[in-house]
Amino acid sequence: MRVCVENVHFEYPGGVKALRGVSLIIEPGERVAIVGQNGAGKTTLVKHLNGLLRPTQGQVIIGDWDTSQVEVHRLAQRVGYVFQNPDDQLFCRTVAEEVAFGPRNLGYAPERVHQLVEEALYLAELTDKAEINPYDLSPSWRKMVALASVIAMDTPIVIFDEPTTGQDARTIRRIEHMIEALRQRGKTILTITHDIDFCAENFERVVVMGQGQVLADGPKERILGMVEVLAQTYVEPPQLTRLGMQLGFETTVCTPAQFLETLRRRLGHYRANGLGRSEN
Amino acid sequence: MVERLSFYLERNSPLHRLNPTTKLVVAFTLILVAFLGRGLFLPSLIFLLILAPLSFLGQVGREFLRTTLNLLLPLFAFLFVMQSLFYPGGKTVLFGFWIFAVKLEGVRFAFLTATRVLVMVSSFLLLLLTTHPGVLLLDLTQRGLPASVAYILASTLQIIPQMQAKAATILDAQRSRGLDTSGSLGRRIRALLPLVGPLVFGSLVDVEERAIAIEARGFRSSRPKTSLVEIEDRPLERALRWLCLLAFILALGSHLWP
Repeated sequence: MRVCVENVHFEYPGGVKALRGVSLIIEPGERVAIVGQNGAGKTTLVKHLNGLLRPTQGQVIIGDWDTSQVEVHRLAQRVGYVFQNPDDQLFCRTVAEEVAFGPRNLGYAPERVHQLVEEALYLAELTDKAEINPYDLSPSWRKMVALASVIAMDTPIVIFDEPTTGQDARTIRRIEHMIEALRQRGKTILTITHDIDFCAENFERVVVMGQGQVLADGPKERILGMVEVLAQTYVEPPQLTRLGMQLGFETTVCTPAQFLETLRRRLGHYRANGLGRSEN
Repeated sequence: MVERLSFYLERNSPLHRLNPTTKLVVAFTLILVAFLGRGLFLPSLIFLLILAPLSFLGQVGREFLRTTLNLLLPLFAFLFVMQSLFYPGGKTVLFGFWIFAVKLEGVRFAFLTATRVLVMVSSFLLLLLTTHPGVLLLDLTQRGLPASVAYILASTLQIIPQMQAKAATILDAQRSRGLDTSGSLGRRIRALLPLVGPLVFGSLVDVEERAIAIEARGFRSSRPKTSLVEIEDRPLERALRWLCLLAFILALGSHLWP
């Protein structure tokens, strides 16, 4: 399902202009990370995608629905949104019930709800915790419950608001597995993040926001190398990308695999031509 | 989003610069005088000649009048209708229609009650508009109010906007999961549970965290505390407060005089 954001402006009551003309098209199955300084308008933008906010000017189209014409609980069929703080949504007595809340609201048949819950619990590695009260779990597992409760809704588009903030490496790994599984199922994934390594390793497209506008938008290999643009909104390229730049790599590397691949190519080149000569 | 935590409006006015305790004492005195003093027009004169001019001196006149009217107009309308028609012992009929008769005694009583309430509400409103709640409580603690009492006062003032913000976030999160909060009464009641659960639990967590945070800064330490903020208290204001006491005694005297 295609997401189409057309010249959206948004002003909060009180006069803060949070979005000043944002346009964005996201194709089905894309994995997009939105980065930018605090107050850049990232959360304001994604809240437009499921109708929590309505543009003061411009349009947001999800598939064939204009978000200003459709209610939030109906848009939930198309866009799943995981809030930053799991405690803002957990209320059921067991993890399984909590995860079933969303799909039940969407009116799915009981067998389908059961199946979706099982699958979401499996993806979140919560299968053995299904009967536990969410508040008896640690904060990082509560985060996984919140993630599972939204992916169980089986929406074509899934939004994560800073999923890795405050999480240890193991939980981040679990979230990465989940994103990979969603990718294989053809879901469109949008993430707001300040974790630039997480962004570089799990997403293919990066949208850079600053002062309510899109400063840059494109494949991560192009965007994460734009040091000056990123600096405008207080984002630094990943350490590995910066190392690659200092080593004089002609392409921007984002992941360890890309780094090693480029390094190997270069070493081969040096071996053939001797050190000190450039590739070109 | 920045939520407004109080009525306070930041201005640079003589009223803002006044010591908070002075303003508190004046507010209490005006209320007591309005309730104890004699004369049908005393409370309305207090409002017109003291409170309204003071609000303009404090550069909050427009907000002061607007908020006062918004708060009190419905109450006044109700008060006048009820009292002018049904005041017990009313004899002097001003005019009548159908089975109703508007009586002078009722109108007088309604007028007096309404203007007294007006003085009560508006003098506190003026205090809150021109005094930062933190400064008021700081001044009171420096004058010997126990810190725990100040904390209870401050937290009750602040808990409503905080819970409102939290409730709005929870509502957004649950609507994003397909919760329908519109429709029939039964459906709305069922929609409450997913909202109340996280709100209550989250508020308890917040309270605990706040308690730990202030304890970490020596809240219960019994040593005398110094303060970064110095609150001015001029001799003139001290005199004004004694004057307030005098006004209170006079009003009490006139009330008790046979």
